[in-house]
Amino acid sequence: MILNADNFEKEVLKSSLPVLVDFWASWCPPCKMVEPVVAELERELAGRVKVGKLNVDQNPGIAGRYHIQGVPAFVLFVGGKEVARRVGAQSKTQLRRFLEECLGSSRGSGER
Amino acid sequence: MSKDHNAQKTCWNCPALELRGHVDFRACGQSMRKFMTEGQAMAECKRRPELGLFDPASLTFEECPEWEEGPYGYQLRDMRVLILGIDGYLGWTLALWLGSLGFRVAGVDNFNRRRWVAEEGSHSVVPIAPMEERLRAAKEVLGIEISFREFDILDNEKLRQFIQEFQPEAIVHYAECPSAPYSMVDFQHAAYVQHNNVIGTLGLLFAMRDLAPEASLIKLGTMGEYGTPLTGRPIFEGIFPADAVLQWDGREWSLGGELTPRDPVSFYHVSKVQDTFNVYESCKYWWLRSYDVMQGVIYGVHTEQVAADPRLRTRFDVDEWFGTVINRFVAQAVVGIPLTIYGSGGQTRGFLALRDAMQCMTRLILSPPEPGQYDVVNQISGVYRVRELAETVARIAADEFGLEVEIQRLENPRVEADEHPYEVVYEKLPQQLGFEPQVTLEEEVYQMLKLLIQPSIRSRIEAIRQVILPKTRWSGLHKEMDVIERYKVRPRRVVGLGAEGGGEDDPER
Repeated sequence: MILNADNFEKEVLKSSLPVLVDFWASWCPPCKMVEPVVAELERELAGRVKVGKLNVDQNPGIAGRYHIQGVPAFVLFVGGKEVARRVGAQSKTQLRRFLEECLGSSRGSGER
Repeated sequence: MSKDHNAQKTCWNCPALELRGHVDFRACGQSMRKFMTEGQAMAECKRRPELGLFDPASLTFEECPEWEEGPYGYQLRDMRVLILGIDGYLGWTLALWLGSLGFRVAGVDNFNRRRWVAEEGSHSVVPIAPMEERLRAAKEVLGIEISFREFDILDNEKLRQFIQEFQPEAIVHYAECPSAPYSMVDFQHAAYVQHNNVIGTLGLLFAMRDLAPEASLIKLGTMGEYGTPLTGRPIFEGIFPADAVLQWDGREWSLGGELTPRDPVSFYHVSKVQDTFNVYESCKYWWLRSYDVMQGVIYGVHTEQVAADPRLRTRFDVDEWFGTVINRFVAQAVVGIPLTIYGSGGQTRGFLALRDAMQCMTRLILSPPEPGQYDVVNQISGVYRVRELAETVARIAADEFGLEVEIQRLENPRVEADEHPYEVVYEKLPQQLGFEPQVTLEEEVYQMLKLLIQPSIRSRIEAIRQVILPKTRWSGLHKEMDVIERYKVRPRRVVGLGAEGGGEDDPER
């Protein structure tokens, strides 16, 4: 799902499901290379975890609010609040493990 | 052929986009960013300023009236393309190809290629006209007006002036010295090639930063930048995918987005690798956008436009410095020189026909990367082993033209593996940009033989016989190559080339 300033509140902050947000930028090669992995996860986790992408250059307000300092940044929101994040390219296995660790124990570690 | 590969691209990709707002540097230091204060990037259209400020992601090429349907996707009306190195084998062919599609074409050349080839006592075996005549014929025969300027792109002031005047929306950079052997002749040649290529490109990048940051740069690299990894690991398209991981000491990291290793095979290839880093960094620092094209070995002589008139023909080199493998085999077959393969001839490389290369370039021009995006494509249509290529040329020459052709193995003048695994990933052009090869190897070899066998061209090949065989050794030793073996292929066997073919030594020129 493509996130922007218009839908961020509804789709992320008010979502009943946990949401994994991929903060990315067009000038960032790692962001481009994780695109297919993120798309696969979005399909595989449908109904359990929502997955969305937010372009930080097109939406600097939201990127600023969450202090995105480097991309790609994967931020997991549960109940509208950030519970954990990972920065830098991740393999599919790593992203899955990250979600399992955070969601398996209902709340994540808030790891940064 | 697929036309809709770029339909869903938005103004974010369009060279007519002008981002508005102040310029700031990202806190992480990774790039520059430009944005409006209201939390949304805004843009203006240089072509339609009456639209005012708008969200650049809100309009697709399909919806925009400036982008019209064309044979290779949506095409920006009268798109301005600057070709650096327009007098060369590929530059001239592309100029006519784009011109006939309705692009506005400008070009720069200082005719160095003509001089380098003459330095060896060689010439283009297909005669080519002087530039004034070429331009006149393009106008007369094809109705194409090309804006040409003669200068060396190392002259940064002249380059800036021309970019300022023409305001290119895409720049195709063919203006490098493309010969591995030429760079291995001696110190002077190595230094010359590296200076010409690396500094020429660096100057272009600074000029683009200042004068044309929204234009996309289609930068020619070469598959030879990668080398041939003996582990047999795949040769990715320049950048590791996210699922490529580094494991060490019980830990694991994704390599996604990092440049893959390069293992250049001559000082010329080193210049291309240095270019890769310079282009990559410029995209990062200045939000330039570029496709770094890892091009395979181009072969062939035919496009509809260059065949339209003798004055429109593109050059065709077969000498040891600038002749590429398939083209050289065809010339050798025509004048009865045994087709020369180096070592065992098991070198495997990626190849692409001239006409298909033009299609690829058009698709890249029509699908500009996003601001700051550095992307790499492996531009080939098939992988062949050199020995098998020689046999294919020999068979077609014998079966279709009645020529007596031998193949000879010479000791390898280069430092490279003769036999090696070769698994190339080449997915972006066919899967994301709609590229479909239109030319088979056999067809193009047939076309080449048909042209080169004409008495007037045959005599031009005869005239440069002595500069076709390799003399430049990577070791620096001055001595002719020893012949290891000479043989004939069995005639009249059905030629069955599939995805497995044969390719040659460094198919680079």
